[in-house]
Amino acid sequence: MDARKSSIAIGVIIAATLVIIVAGLMPGAKTLSIQAVWNALVAPDGKIELILVWTLRFPRSLAAAVVGAGLAVSGYLLQSLTRNPLADPGITGVTAGATAPIVTCFVLMPWVPGVYYPFIGLAGGLAAASVTFWVARGGNGRPLHLALGGISVSLFLGAVTIYVLLLAGPQSTALLFWISGGFAGRTWSHLLQMLPWVMIGLVGALALHRVVSMFALSDHAAAGMGVQLNLWKPVLLLLSIAPVAGVAPVAGPVAFVGLAAPHIAKFLKPQGTVWEIGLAAAIGSLIVTSADLIARTIAIPKELPVGIITALLGGPIFIYLIQRGRLDVKAEGA
Amino acid sequence: MTAVTALKQSKPRVLLAAFLLGLISLVAAVFLGVVDIPADDIMSALSGGGSSEARSIIMDIRLPRIITGILAGIQFALAGLLLQTITRNPLADPSLMGVSQGATLTVTIFLLFTVYIFNPGSNTVAELPIGWLPVAGMAGGMIAGGIIYLLAFRLDLSPLRITLCGIAIGAVLHAVAIGLIAGWGSARIEIILEWLSGSLYARTWDHALFLLPFTVAGLAVLPIIYRPLIMLQFDAAVARSFGLSYRMQFSFVLLVSCALAASAVGAVGPIVVVGLIVPHLARFLAGRHFPLVLPMTVVLGAVVVTLGDLIGRLAGGAEEVPIGIVTAILGVPVLLMLLRKVP
Repeated sequence: MDARKSSIAIGVIIAATLVIIVAGLMPGAKTLSIQAVWNALVAPDGKIELILVWTLRFPRSLAAAVVGAGLAVSGYLLQSLTRNPLADPGITGVTAGATAPIVTCFVLMPWVPGVYYPFIGLAGGLAAASVTFWVARGGNGRPLHLALGGISVSLFLGAVTIYVLLLAGPQSTALLFWISGGFAGRTWSHLLQMLPWVMIGLVGALALHRVVSMFALSDHAAAGMGVQLNLWKPVLLLLSIAPVAGVAPVAGPVAFVGLAAPHIAKFLKPQGTVWEIGLAAAIGSLIVTSADLIARTIAIPKELPVGIITALLGGPIFIYLIQRGRLDVKAEGA
Repeated sequence: MTAVTALKQSKPRVLLAAFLLGLISLVAAVFLGVVDIPADDIMSALSGGGSSEARSIIMDIRLPRIITGILAGIQFALAGLLLQTITRNPLADPSLMGVSQGATLTVTIFLLFTVYIFNPGSNTVAELPIGWLPVAGMAGGMIAGGIIYLLAFRLDLSPLRITLCGIAIGAVLHAVAIGLIAGWGSARIEIILEWLSGSLYARTWDHALFLLPFTVAGLAVLPIIYRPLIMLQFDAAVARSFGLSYRMQFSFVLLVSCALAASAVGAVGPIVVVGLIVPHLARFLAGRHFPLVLPMTVVLGAVVVTLGDLIGRLAGGAEEVPIGIVTAILGVPVLLMLLRKVP
């Protein structure tokens, strides 16, 4: 696709996301008509519809879109940085790294205000990623070690998370949220708290797209073209972890989006890194808003965690990519 | 030359040391616990005498859970080693590749439906038929193993791709299980939580008897699959050129591995880390000398679970730490160090 087609594709996907967000304002425990939704959006009159639309359904759908974009950008950056098609926030341990310290604070130190959670998540995610990369020696030429190290780090942090939750007593809602993610009861303040972190990742990735595309070739190529590895590698790593740190306290772990969205974007073959990043972010938004809509409508009035729907959607995509050989898995048997 | 022979001679000693460590940890696990019992009381309880309190603690609580743990540890470790060997992939482990997640799913479904099947209108924990959990879990594990098998041969995938697909399938099955819990059964969440973290709490002789046939069968087939195993370490083409019926042997080892893991998961829940770590540890200690790695894995599997459970029992006090969590927290750093060293 050339630049014009790519921009059209992004436009179409964003439009589809918006349609889903608006359509998602209607169904729920109390179904609203299009008319009622429209009235509540355009001419708020303070009725029950207003509360349903403006404080319950609209912010959570927007949060889902932001989460999707953030995870997709994070996955894209990690995949470029490691040149490993499997790298995503989940498999490199970043998600678990952000979640475990936040859960620990949430349970053991409830007096820490929620505004600080993203910073805690950033530190944890960075630490987890550092351990994973240390094991994989930077991830270069050892794709399997990266996956093995990341999964091990995730297992470790997952055990810590579950133990902390066990200490807190089995509070089912908190437990399920931290195991499989969700958007129930997310408000405007959650959205605003998360937005800057996702924007850092997205804007940073777009601004640095030249560096990103050079890293996607190889470290040597990047160095040869004058990229200072010691400076830009850590910067890109921070940029890839920032969205996850923002997303984790708001949505919990949302599986497979960071992995699937960049691959679908590349599958559409847009021209150039900028468009790939944009397309990946848009696709991520579409996936998570759709998943959130499914999660809260499939079993009204109950609600399923959104991570389940994304796993059900993303898992088959992942398996398809592997068995079609679209993932360029190198170093077999290494 | 002398260095090589010295190395070869030192290796059986490693196995002996591991075996001794196993004995020590077994004794420690029997003698140590939250309830302090005098040593001579324990000795007489073991021989059938002693106070009734000591006898019930030792014979009905500690011994069954230790034995169950040893059997499960052997099975997890062996399952991991077999799968890692035939797929030539350090990541392969049945409990990571869908078997334990499939078991979680069937256990969840089973718990959700037992209320309707056995006891309409009741949701008290005591009336749930917990004795059937191992069977339900094992069924789910085997189904997941079947999916891995189909992927491996219907689609003719390479070992690395099989592993990756297995991890994805595991994630999907896990997601469905959590979804069912969330949408349905909050009343039973405590049982499922205990199950999910992998625990030896309240394991009885029934659990040990359930596992015993699988452990014995698994160890008994080892001499039969030993030679194929060594050849399965090569590429399919190379293995065939040695005259190995690759497909049949691969399927058989895969079946053994899945059966070992599925039955163990059924009895004690997913202790994922053991199957992943113990083979790495065994290879590190025994070198790449397969005849030694095999027994080493078996012994270390038992040791890791026994020690892990002992630590979990002592560390948490009255609220013991589940074995799955202990092995993850203590084992993963070791695994990471080993991974870093492996070139």
